[in-house]
Amino acid sequence: MIGAITALSDSVFFTGVFDPKIRTFDIIMKTANGSSYNSYLVRGSEGVAIMDTVKKEFSEPFFQRVELLCDYEEIKYIVLHHLEPDHSGALVELMGRAPHAKLIISGRAVMMLKGIIKEDIPFEVANTGKTISLGDKTIEFLSTPFLHWPDTMSSYLHEEKILFSGDVFGSHYYDERLFDDEVGDFSYAFKYYYDHIMRPFKQYVLQALKLYRKFDIDIIAPLHGPILRTNPKYYLDKYAQWSSEEKFRKNEFGKKMFSVFYISSYDNTHEMAVKITEGADDIDGVIASMYDLSSLDENTMIDLLEESDAVVIGSPTINGDAVKPAWDLLSCMAFLENGGKVGATFGSYGWTGEAAGMLHDRMRGLKFRLPTEPLKVKLIPTEEDLESCTGFGREVAEIMMGKMVEMEI
Amino acid sequence: MATIVLLDDNIRVKVSDGTTLRKVALKTGASMEFGCRVGDCSTCVAYVESGMEYLNEKSEKEHKVLQMLGEDTRELRLMCQCEVNASEGEVLISYRLA
Ligand SMILES: Cc1cc2nc3c(=O)[nH]c(=O)nc-3n(C[C@H](O)[C@H](O)[C@H](O)COP(=O)(O)O)c2cc1C
Ligand code: FES
Repeated sequence: MIGAITALSDSVFFTGVFDPKIRTFDIIMKTANGSSYNSYLVRGSEGVAIMDTVKKEFSEPFFQRVELLCDYEEIKYIVLHHLEPDHSGALVELMGRAPHAKLIISGRAVMMLKGIIKEDIPFEVANTGKTISLGDKTIEFLSTPFLHWPDTMSSYLHEEKILFSGDVFGSHYYDERLFDDEVGDFSYAFKYYYDHIMRPFKQYVLQALKLYRKFDIDIIAPLHGPILRTNPKYYLDKYAQWSSEEKFRKNEFGKKMFSVFYISSYDNTHEMAVKITEGADDIDGVIASMYDLSSLDENTMIDLLEESDAVVIGSPTINGDAVKPAWDLLSCMAFLENGGKVGATFGSYGWTGEAAGMLHDRMRGLKFRLPTEPLKVKLIPTEEDLESCTGFGREVAEIMMGKMVEMEI
Repeated sequence: MATIVLLDDNIRVKVSDGTTLRKVALKTGASMEFGCRVGDCSTCVAYVESGMEYLNEKSEKEHKVLQMLGEDTRELRLMCQCEVNASEGEVLISYRLA
């Protein structure tokens, strides 16, 4: 049973499905309150457009809704705002049923389409500025890449002032009442979704907001959770605020943050950390700080990493590896945008000394800028070793501040 | 030798004819981003602000992938598909989102 059809306006209807039982989404997210896969049907004087489909297992209620609202022959366009399987799962079936439908995807989706849908299907590409017409309804496309898939786009239905925002402004929050003014308090889910899905792409969020703000928006229709119609600007402003917090701090203090994260059993790596921090702090415009990894929880790690312009990590070598808290720190980068942070690694070791090199390689994989080789000291640092630590801190800090590096390869 | 200037990281590096931009990134530790490394995903797209003529020509495939980005592609390159094709000259590259 699918219940009554929800209308967003005279010509736009909800064709999505509910998944109240889901508790973990995409492996990484908790969805304590279930979720929904939203899809919308737009009716114009000359045909119908279906905005996204649903997860494959939920095809049946989706098709039931579509069938209540139109004949398959009427479907002129199927728009996929991105190709993620929870929204493209019913696409092939829908294309089969709708003989006149043309698929619309973004330019960046072209190379991905074959990987998601294992057969050749015809499509048309939409980038910013492209419009499609359903007679008395016009849909305009906006390229909003990386939110959160590279191929993400959004669209705007002019006559009804509805923004189809893709996963942007989504929440994993199940409530069949659907509208933000009728569902329970979903603000925690709205923020959680932003933190886990959008936060790594802040610069792209800010770019998308610029595009969105050109339009007069009455309703935001995202792909998960409540439809936002009470005060769309409130949600735009929240995204703007969360995406510019870090910049605000930086602009206010006008300084760059140099963070030394270390862990140490017999103080050797710790002594190195102290000297590296001192060296860095000598440079004008730098605030250098030290953090002991053994006492940071994950949320603090994420916040500190986000603020840091340079991330310097020290670990001793234990059984041929860096220690777990150092890896935990780096795994937090999955929640953040790197944006060219400077990185460096160091550590004391006993006989093989792999830790600093392994961390360095991992940081390269995470797209840090790594201007120096790892700094390693055998066992207890000598006076001379400690001097090179100071020099190391200075050098990395100077590069963080924009010193030109000249070299030949 | 030709000179590559990586504007976002303040790196100036002299390289010999035939050096790939992948190698430049690796050796300098620059923060240039790569994804697939085979010219499919466009993660490594960059603006060549000047000196395009000192790089290899774009292949059909690179043209195609760049066109899908829907922007003016004349100054764009996929860094994973680039190599220096000159023994002198200066190439200015920026890869950070504006
Ligand atoms: C939240 C999220 C983030 C993703 N990030 C990436 C990524 O950065 N690079 C990539 O190649 N694929 C990324 N993917 C795509 C997955 O790797 C892809 O869907 C894969 O086929 C999933 O494999 P599985 O079915 O074994 O989970 C991401 C998927 C999700 C849901
Ligand atoms: S890294 Fe994927 S296109 Fe270059």
